[in-house]
Amino acid sequence: MSKLERLLNLTAVLLATERPLSADELRQQVEGYPESTPSFRRAFERDKDDLRTLGIPLRVERVPAVDPPLDGYRIPPEEYYLPDPGLDPDELAALHLASLTVRFEGMAEQEALWKLGGSLVPAMAAESVVDLPSDPALIPIFSAISGRHPIEFRYRDEDRRVDPWRLAFQRGRWYLSGHDHLRGSERNYRMDRIQGAVVVDHGATWSHRPEGSAEGRTLQAWEMGEEESVEVRLLVDAAQAGLASRQLGPGVVAETQPDGSAVFVLPVVNTAAFRSFVLGFLEHAEILSPPDLRSDLVDWLVSLVEAGDDV
Amino acid sequence: MSAAPTAGDRLRRVLAIVPWIVANPGVALSEVAERFGVPEAELVKDLNVVWMVGLPPYTPDSLIEVVLEDGRVWIHYADFFSRPLRLSPAQGLALLASSDALLSMSGTEPDGPLARALVKLGAALDLGDEEAVGVDLGTAEASLLTELRAAAAAGTEVEIDYYSYGRDDHTTRRIAPWRVTASGGAWYVEAWCLTADGERIFRVDRVEAVRPTGEPATHRPDDSGPNVEIFHPRDGDPRITLRLSPRARWVVETYPCENVAEGEDGSVVARLVITATPWLERLLVRLGHDVEILDVEELPGATRLAADAASRILARYNS
Repeated sequence: MSKLERLLNLTAVLLATERPLSADELRQQVEGYPESTPSFRRAFERDKDDLRTLGIPLRVERVPAVDPPLDGYRIPPEEYYLPDPGLDPDELAALHLASLTVRFEGMAEQEALWKLGGSLVPAMAAESVVDLPSDPALIPIFSAISGRHPIEFRYRDEDRRVDPWRLAFQRGRWYLSGHDHLRGSERNYRMDRIQGAVVVDHGATWSHRPEGSAEGRTLQAWEMGEEESVEVRLLVDAAQAGLASRQLGPGVVAETQPDGSAVFVLPVVNTAAFRSFVLGFLEHAEILSPPDLRSDLVDWLVSLVEAGDDV
Repeated sequence: MSAAPTAGDRLRRVLAIVPWIVANPGVALSEVAERFGVPEAELVKDLNVVWMVGLPPYTPDSLIEVVLEDGRVWIHYADFFSRPLRLSPAQGLALLASSDALLSMSGTEPDGPLARALVKLGAALDLGDEEAVGVDLGTAEASLLTELRAAAAAGTEVEIDYYSYGRDDHTTRRIAPWRVTASGGAWYVEAWCLTADGERIFRVDRVEAVRPTGEPATHRPDDSGPNVEIFHPRDGDPRITLRLSPRARWVVETYPCENVAEGEDGSVVARLVITATPWLERLLVRLGHDVEILDVEELPGATRLAADAASRILARYNS
């Protein structure tokens, strides 16, 4: 008898049972185990590891009404079975194409597609392939999002407890957004700045995620900060208005002037990051308002001119 | 996989294939093989194991029944394998992330198959109505990306209007794109530039317009494999050494640097390759007092750059 056959029998028996089965019961019920007790033990341990490696939810529970207490095993069907997502063939093919076009470093998407029913993708023309970098904390955080569990980690030298809402890949990096218990409000974290491991608190769950929270838009650097929000009007000359508009993305209010220049209205909660953005345009852009942000920028420039005079 | 699959690998596949055949009785073996990317002979081997599987007492009526007839396959009495195993968190994340990335780059079709698949997948993963994963590979107009990718696939030349950030300069160029790729939050097109008569990399968000010419490309890359370096410092390019305060550390995370040394106070000393002076000018004026120039032997004018740029910008504010 092959090992595959034994593993299939074991999975079937564990799925079909209504109460936990002890190792001895499994030895009697599942065909294909070696005769001697030590060999059986070794084989059974390896099989349990194999099932867990596959992600099969193998539960260890007390066998009821047995004294002394005895460990038993079962696979709860409700945790094993994938609810049918009801994907149409074209939707499945689209997922397949996506997994071929955007390759996620270190993630086995093939098995995920098998579980969804496999798919037939028409032979493609040579497609440009994009590699999406990974991060070790992504998987625990994603499982915490789907299980609605809080997570704990260290960030900027503080211990945080966060209800995780959304993972976002922006500007070449992974970000997490969620509710920060320490700060009492929504926050964004750069995942490469998380210090040490992320711990999922499986014992707790969160339920409330405000509507429109952690929305899909890519946050600009000046939208990530802890200052009070101010509305800034920024004038960009015609020659670079198109570039600015592409950088700012759709959804930003822009008034195009007759000469082709544009005034953008932007919410800013990180003035240092905003100054850096504006100065990237050199003399092709100008902060129109508010007055104090405009005078801060002038002070910055004056101090640079003075430092240059000292050289 | 060239090595023989392990029992674990085969188990993964069988646990996915059996429920699918149960749900699609009488399907052609060849289709199963193609769908799951497994040679037909291996598939038959797996199915020959499946029909010996079942529950105690393993009498014929408690075993799975596999019927293979005229190249078609039926599976009966496999109630416990009627559904595949749940997606692992890693698998769910990978599918969502790849799909969201492809959606954001292909010009969103809000009712297209990929968008619909994402909604259904989110529901199957218990994620609720709010989006749990968003991937933005870089800002670029979908129509320009599409034009450039089409030209790369067809091997044709295009004319582009391009803004060179490093040189603060608008040009029109004729290029033969061979690869469009995203890296570090921006889209790039790798191409042969006929105007410069050399290989060039352009950032797609600085491409202002693309006009197809229909002309077949005369230059092809020697090797279009991945990992083409985005930045091409040349040996002759000047180097400059900067001390960056903790607030300016992002420079070493963003630009290629040589010889990065950590200071005790959180500052870093880094040596940068300067391919264009206007680029350095912007960097210095943005960093202000968070940067100190340590050596300018290869770029004697660098000490005046920030002050001169600041004067020009100030003139605008004072007028």
